[in-house]
Amino acid sequence: MKGLTHFIVGLTAAAMIPESVRAAASGNPLYLLLGGIFGLLPDTLDFKFYRFFYRHDIEVMPDPDKPDARMIADAVAHAVNKAWSTGSCVKIKLGTVRKGADLWQRYSIRFDVREKRVTVAYGPIVDTGGNPATDAVATKGPSATAALACDITLDYEAETTVDIFDGPLLRMTPTPDGPVRIEFIPWHRDWSHSLTVGAVFGLAGAALWNPLAGTVIFLAYAMHALADQMGFMGVNFFYPFRRGRRPGFGLMRSTEAWPNFATVWLCCLLIFWSLAQNTAGTEFRPGLVRLIIGAGVMPVVVFLLADRLMRGKQNLKRTVEPQRNAE
Amino acid sequence: METIFILSAAVAGTIAGCAAGCIPGFHVYNLLGVMITSFAMPDSGNLLPPLFIGMIVGWTMTAAIPSVLLAAPDESALLMVLPGQKYAGRGEGFEAAMLTAAGALLAAFLLVIPAGLLIPILLPEIRTTLRPHGYWVLWSVIAFLLLSEWPKLGTRGQGGWRRFIEGCSTPAAGILTFLMAGMLGLVLRYNPPFPPKAALHGMMPAFAGLFAVPWLLLNIVSRFQLPRQEQRSALRASGRHILRGTAAGCLGGGFAALFPGVSGGIGGLLAGHATAQRDDRVFLVSQGASRMIYYAGALLLMFLPETGYSRGTGAFLLGTFYEANGGMNDYLPALGSIAVAAALSFLLMRPLLRLTLWCVNKFGFCRISTAALSVVIGLVFVCTGFMGLLVLAAATGIGLIPVLFHSRRINCLGVILLPAALGMSELGPVVASALGIIR
Repeated sequence: MKGLTHFIVGLTAAAMIPESVRAAASGNPLYLLLGGIFGLLPDTLDFKFYRFFYRHDIEVMPDPDKPDARMIADAVAHAVNKAWSTGSCVKIKLGTVRKGADLWQRYSIRFDVREKRVTVAYGPIVDTGGNPATDAVATKGPSATAALACDITLDYEAETTVDIFDGPLLRMTPTPDGPVRIEFIPWHRDWSHSLTVGAVFGLAGAALWNPLAGTVIFLAYAMHALADQMGFMGVNFFYPFRRGRRPGFGLMRSTEAWPNFATVWLCCLLIFWSLAQNTAGTEFRPGLVRLIIGAGVMPVVVFLLADRLMRGKQNLKRTVEPQRNAE
Repeated sequence: METIFILSAAVAGTIAGCAAGCIPGFHVYNLLGVMITSFAMPDSGNLLPPLFIGMIVGWTMTAAIPSVLLAAPDESALLMVLPGQKYAGRGEGFEAAMLTAAGALLAAFLLVIPAGLLIPILLPEIRTTLRPHGYWVLWSVIAFLLLSEWPKLGTRGQGGWRRFIEGCSTPAAGILTFLMAGMLGLVLRYNPPFPPKAALHGMMPAFAGLFAVPWLLLNIVSRFQLPRQEQRSALRASGRHILRGTAAGCLGGGFAALFPGVSGGIGGLLAGHATAQRDDRVFLVSQGASRMIYYAGALLLMFLPETGYSRGTGAFLLGTFYEANGGMNDYLPALGSIAVAAALSFLLMRPLLRLTLWCVNKFGFCRISTAALSVVIGLVFVCTGFMGLLVLAAATGIGLIPVLFHSRRINCLGVILLPAALGMSELGPVVASALGIIR
């Protein structure tokens, strides 16, 4: 999920406790702010602290001027083969390729589990938003394939794209039953996303402030982990009692617009409902179902219909224009 | 007959607002401030609202031109500079400005129908519920803003303290920018260095220094040459891009219009995050929509006195001469004025864009940037005097921190957010006193 989504989910967890809202209405925003901050904290710990300390064994730094898919494919294959032959983990960091102030060379790494090989393919040059910098539709660059000496299993998707800012780190972990397990950015969603760490923060908050603060902190933290579990990568809920991430439910991708928007909007409605229920002097107390249908479902349906209508027109245009050109 | 007068006032205001929008670093509120301090306002209450609405809507539409072509934004257009520059660098600045205008036009019509009809019914209830909670919403925005600063460096080399320190530089610069801008905002709020007659322009030097001048200086120093700009007759964006961008922008702008201290820029930022936008076209459309909803929507609220909502400097300035009586007699002409002004200013976008591009092609980008910088400095001096220039210099220094450290410029909004949040929490004077700003 996006940062704002996690922040608002945490805020919602806090706002669903009536005492938090009453405190906020009387001038004490502590609990609601703790909800938002601890809702975002797991990712903050990963991306702003832990990843900088995570060490790797191999670093791949492609030359911006000489695209070399072979070198990258060989390096990844070497990491897998080394993990298999030595029986110990090998961590490989894939560097990004900066082509200008706001331009990046995109490349992808695809693992073929059945054929036991890895393919690296250069893609288009993209801007920091991830959009192709030119109108050229498929700027296919060089590609290369390297064979793997062993079976592999994946903990995430088969294809990884490397483009802007920081490249991913892959950990090749040998397993007792044979194949090497390829773990995508193993420093993410591990200890920092566990309920155990959330409980520790909750206890610290209870000691520092009061039990309500501790409860809010734990709830917000747990909601972050739960929201992330809806995706593909999964979360390690019970570090240090359990090693590795549990596979996600695969219901959505964290960067997709719709799940993020729907979650944010639903949370806004829940917060508003809770404020209306728990703020003294307010006579407006909408029912939760009525509020969600009236302010949530109905506008979304209208928007979806309009969106569908636009897509229909777009498809029609795409069909008609080539026909006209052909004529 | 009265309808014709109202229409004429809206049209005159729109033309003036559109012209003001093309001046880099010049905010329509400064123009309104100059108007009400320099001229005797006509004693014809019914004509002032359409005039003000026309000016604000016209300015909101055309202020995208200097933001995209010259990278000299006002506070609420800050986020459109980077994608706008990308477009301008590819010779598509014309299209980028038109995309924001398309978002603004659609948002204006959505503001009139259906939002305009729903606001009188829903807003009083919403306001009663939200009133005691505005301050923590503002603190939440600040917390999110600071926590979401992304480390952009420290991507190479072995993991350890060296990478961590390198990686920290961006978030640290972001926090520093926010705090320094916030301090500047506290000074301007609690101990403004201007004479009382310049009070209406109090934020102008800070906004110009934080948002417009750093870009203009970069334009001049880097000797950037704007490539020839293509003037397309049709936008390369589908109806879905426009729809999605407008929906996101309306949400962000609506949020900003409802909560004091949250500006159009913040609204646009939140809308972008909420919908996980990565498409520049959707983003540009959303920024246009967000600004229109923020500026026009906030002003519209003053025509519903029964809601008790009055938001924004535009409403404050208009409120010094005009008092809405409530009911539909004030509100419906205001809605009509927004529709007329939005349509007219959208029609004026193309000729004004062409005029600006003609100037850029004729005189060169570097010279135009220098001229724009001179205009900004001149305006600050005329409106706020020598002290204004000092504030401008200080604000420019703060505005250059994000440029040097690659952090987000949105942190400069600390100049509004921090004083507003402290003020709403009744902590402003205490903090200002602790910092030695007031004795």
